[in-house]
Amino acid sequence: MRSVFTPPSDIPKNEVSMKQTLTRRDFIRGTTLAVLGTTVGFSQESAAPLKKSRVIVIRHPDALDENSQFNEKVIQQMLDEAVMKLLDQNDPVAAFRRLVKPEDIVGIKSNVWSYLPTPPEVEKAIKRRLLDAGVKEENIGIDDHTVRTNLIFVKSTALINTRPLRTHYLAGMSGCIKNYIMFDISQPAHHPDNCADLGSLFNLPQVKGKTRLNILCALTPQFHGRGPHNFSRRYVWNYKGLIVGQDPVAVDTIGLRLIMAKRRKELGPAQELPPVPKHIQIADTKYGLGTSDINKIELIKLGWSDGIMI
Amino acid sequence: MGAVLFLISFAGGNVIDFGQSIPKKIMGWESAGRDMVYDRKTLFDYLDGGAEVYLAFDFKQVFVRKFKGPAKGELALDIYDMGSPEEAYGIFSCDRQDPEAGIGQESEYGLGLLRFRQGRYFVSITASDDEQKAEKTILELGKVVAAKLGPPGASPALLQCLPETGLKKNRTSYFHGPVNLNNRFFVASENILNLDKQTDCAFAEYALNEKETGNLLLVRYPDEGRAQAAYQSFCKSYLPEAMQTGTAQTENLKWTMARLRKNYVAIVFESPSKEHAERLHSAVRYPQK
Repeated sequence: MRSVFTPPSDIPKNEVSMKQTLTRRDFIRGTTLAVLGTTVGFSQESAAPLKKSRVIVIRHPDALDENSQFNEKVIQQMLDEAVMKLLDQNDPVAAFRRLVKPEDIVGIKSNVWSYLPTPPEVEKAIKRRLLDAGVKEENIGIDDHTVRTNLIFVKSTALINTRPLRTHYLAGMSGCIKNYIMFDISQPAHHPDNCADLGSLFNLPQVKGKTRLNILCALTPQFHGRGPHNFSRRYVWNYKGLIVGQDPVAVDTIGLRLIMAKRRKELGPAQELPPVPKHIQIADTKYGLGTSDINKIELIKLGWSDGIMI
Repeated sequence: MGAVLFLISFAGGNVIDFGQSIPKKIMGWESAGRDMVYDRKTLFDYLDGGAEVYLAFDFKQVFVRKFKGPAKGELALDIYDMGSPEEAYGIFSCDRQDPEAGIGQESEYGLGLLRFRQGRYFVSITASDDEQKAEKTILELGKVVAAKLGPPGASPALLQCLPETGLKKNRTSYFHGPVNLNNRFFVASENILNLDKQTDCAFAEYALNEKETGNLLLVRYPDEGRAQAAYQSFCKSYLPEAMQTGTAQTENLKWTMARLRKNYVAIVFESPSKEHAERLHSAVRYPQK
């Protein structure tokens, strides 16, 4: 049976008002995460009987070589291990068969931003396992800017969502939620109020109910932006990780914690947060897309642990 | 992309002239692809996520040319017509942290990114990779472009109000809207100061003594009513325990002090002492009229 993520119905909605103002004083008090709807401490061993959103963070020291080139073989291994753990399977193909059926038409929603695109090695790893799971090659598409007119995506019955983790001048963070902005006819229409309503993208007819897997590439995340293009290699680091889950809000919540931890370390506590990525919490509280509450996320960390930060 | 203006068909606006006056070859790097011009409607097609930062100013158009390197790599030359020298100062000043590069009126260079202003233009030259190899070309291209941009222009008059003692000039920013404030100095997730295109803001860092610093935000509103409403909104959200005084010691034992004067709101953030904050406030040089 396919495993399509459904937000756990027994989780109460966060009580934090969507319009609650987060101020600089929340940083000073150290309550930023609480105001964002998350709590500071992880509680993986919590006895609370709530169904949690599982998120896998997997890292490997050889995901990039000494020249910062991506290692295709290692990345395939990372993806396999992450998806197996995510779905409690012992075989990567069996795990992918939980996500897709052979007759599915699958769009891999990638990201082509020139400075930090989704690595082709990640796209290849996903495609390889879709083929292994029985999906026909002609029914697999990889696209970003033309997903609205790409016939594979127009006819798609399943989507795999993958992109790099980075900061963003307006939305605060670009993660799996924001990656679907190209499914809408107008991207600027999602910009008001710091892109607060990006969660609505998942209700678009071309998207709704189709997302089987979210892979946030933290191989070389960007924790700060400079210049018109919001990019400087100074603020990109070799984290060598993937953040994988079926709940896009939970995946982005973990991504945000990583960005904040890195900013705290490199830029200081006063710059812990980029402009507030309120869209992540609102995707939870307003759109019911998943959970942004860290207590309702089962975070499983696999592999290399040096400098893991979260 | 249909609304993007290709240079060849672009009519009106001075940025078209750059297509002719800027060399297509420089130090082994060659122009690649078509020159492009984007305006307020099409800037979203070019800047992923950064467009609002420019649209919050009086941005008019940007001329874009890409250069390919002798081996690999790409440079992006962007010349932004910001409408006035004050606005060009603004966009330059909001994102400044590298050493001066000696190009144009004011500039900075750091690892593959040159930024400078000249007159009403703001220019950035960005390397997509191999930044160290591209450095000499970036700086040379910057000098060539700066020479084409006409005479220097004035800085915003609002900066004249800032106290001079201890002012870190290269950490002083000018802007209008909340998106620029929060990228420069995060204050709040909502627009609690009611900033928009009609408001002029200066944010300045001060060296108060050898070790300690303070920050001053000065906002000029179109009228006294808006200033008063913004002051009250700020105090309610940020200093709820000090609605009457506008002064509070925050949890890091530093002081935040807000003051209202006619159509101006001034806020000192994170001053090491109440006295320092008062001294900074009293040194603000408000216009007589």
